[in-house]
Amino acid sequence: MDIDIYLRDDELKLYRYIIVNSIKDRFEKVNVSRGIVALSGGVDSSLVAALSKAALGDRLLCLIMPEEGVSPEEDTNHALEVVRKFNINYRIIPINGVIDWFTKLHGEIKASAKNEKFAIANVKPRIRMIINYLYANTLNGFVIGTSNKTELLLGYGTKYGDIAVDFYPIGDLYKTQVWQLSDYVGIPTEIIRKKPSAGLWAGQTDEEELGHTYYEIDRILYCLVELELSVRETCKVLALPREAVSDIYKRVINSEHKRKIPTITRLSHMCLDKDWRYPADRH
Amino acid sequence: MKEFVKVGLAQISARLGHIEYNTSQIVEYMQKAKEEDAEIVVFPELSTIGYGSGDVYLDKVDENLEALSRIVSEAGKLNLWAIVGYVEKDLRGFFYNSAALIGEGEIKGKFAKTQLVNYRLFDEMKYFKPGSLLPVFETPFGKVGILISEDVWFPEAARALTFRGAEVIFVLSASPFDRGKIEIWDDFLKVRALDNILPLAFVNMSGVQDGVTYWGGSAVYSATGKIVKRLKLIESDFEVVPVDIEESKRLRRRDIRVREVRRDILEEVLKAFDEMTKWI
Repeated sequence: MDIDIYLRDDELKLYRYIIVNSIKDRFEKVNVSRGIVALSGGVDSSLVAALSKAALGDRLLCLIMPEEGVSPEEDTNHALEVVRKFNINYRIIPINGVIDWFTKLHGEIKASAKNEKFAIANVKPRIRMIINYLYANTLNGFVIGTSNKTELLLGYGTKYGDIAVDFYPIGDLYKTQVWQLSDYVGIPTEIIRKKPSAGLWAGQTDEEELGHTYYEIDRILYCLVELELSVRETCKVLALPREAVSDIYKRVINSEHKRKIPTITRLSHMCLDKDWRYPADRH
Repeated sequence: MKEFVKVGLAQISARLGHIEYNTSQIVEYMQKAKEEDAEIVVFPELSTIGYGSGDVYLDKVDENLEALSRIVSEAGKLNLWAIVGYVEKDLRGFFYNSAALIGEGEIKGKFAKTQLVNYRLFDEMKYFKPGSLLPVFETPFGKVGILISEDVWFPEAARALTFRGAEVIFVLSASPFDRGKIEIWDDFLKVRALDNILPLAFVNMSGVQDGVTYWGGSAVYSATGKIVKRLKLIESDFEVVPVDIEESKRLRRRDIRVREVRRDILEEVLKAFDEMTKWI
């Protein structure tokens, strides 16, 4: 069976065109005057910034929001390299002061939950989300998300944090395809090659936290999602142990709630998350 | 006998439910077609109402029919033939994903899509009833057949139009881009032209709706399955392309694949089909 994740050169050209065109289309249809991208210096946000610049020109504003002393300095430097290379408008907004306030509050709550570490880690992307929308609302803008298909499928994002945006232009690209397209549009190589990190705490890397490499995860997801194979079939096709595939499978099914609006108790024949079926673009 | 028909490929970008916008696009492209001396202009699937999933089809159908009347009268004023994708409503109130053949200021014929699409992002069966007729229509420039999108992914419909003497088949579509889609469509269109020894004019929707990109790339295929002309991908585009309707007759002097289709084999196909659809 063909695990055909890698995009050909002619596909990269077409994908770039389609994504840029779709950013323009959303921008016009929602009738805003600014696009806001939170730029971390990682590969996903660098790619979205470059594509958004091609679509929106000077109407794009990138927000670089480091937690000084915790976010690696390298990341901020990479973000600056991207805005300079693509000539993008930007602001640097350190978020330390706000984090300190929440950390203090967090300390006052009796810490007993087993996900206690994540509670405060998740505050950071949520603070960035609030800043994104402060800018977007003030400047009549919309927030362009940087999540890719791998993250969205795994639920590897903070609910109402980094995944709370108006639009996902690269949400149908796997991480390995993001690397390819980033290389194609001229994102600096050191950004593409560095170890991906959600920046939740110092020294964190995605692959260590997820327990698999993105190469392996994408191949598993490709089988489960694109080829619609069962866990058993995927194990056979990729010659992987059952635990590896079922771990990824569980992440996908357990994170469905992050990809939907919250479940509504159905009382009428027109329940808004189930029966009411209208697309975002209509007249 | 006419050798070429000048066909206007009107690759518009319709907006979902925005009937006023779509109608003005259609009228504008009809005027363009007339200026560029087209004999017939062809629009994509569901041009009046736009393509996309969602319940928009339920409450905009009457408005879409009024738009069609306006289009018919505009075509009459321009003395132009046209094929337009729209939603038809029958006497019982059922809806059909349809195409109207317009000529001499009136509707000369209608075709309802026979193969509705109902997988992944598509949910046409929720709104439309499938058609089951495969007519050909007389025009001043020859006999024409119409198919809508998925109809051409099955061999039978184009076959029937061929047996009925179609000299050209117009394929209206609103095909959303996804990986490999353009190549698959190209293969199907080429094969339909080849196995029926007939030219095909394919007109696809362009533009973006709700993050879905309609890939355009409308094209004319010759009776030998070659692309005569391909329009732009993704964007709106328009071109008048001469379609050779005599080539197929020349080819068929030697190429017996249409003439020598065997009735007993068709019956055997039907028998096999019945076996497939029986309960086991």
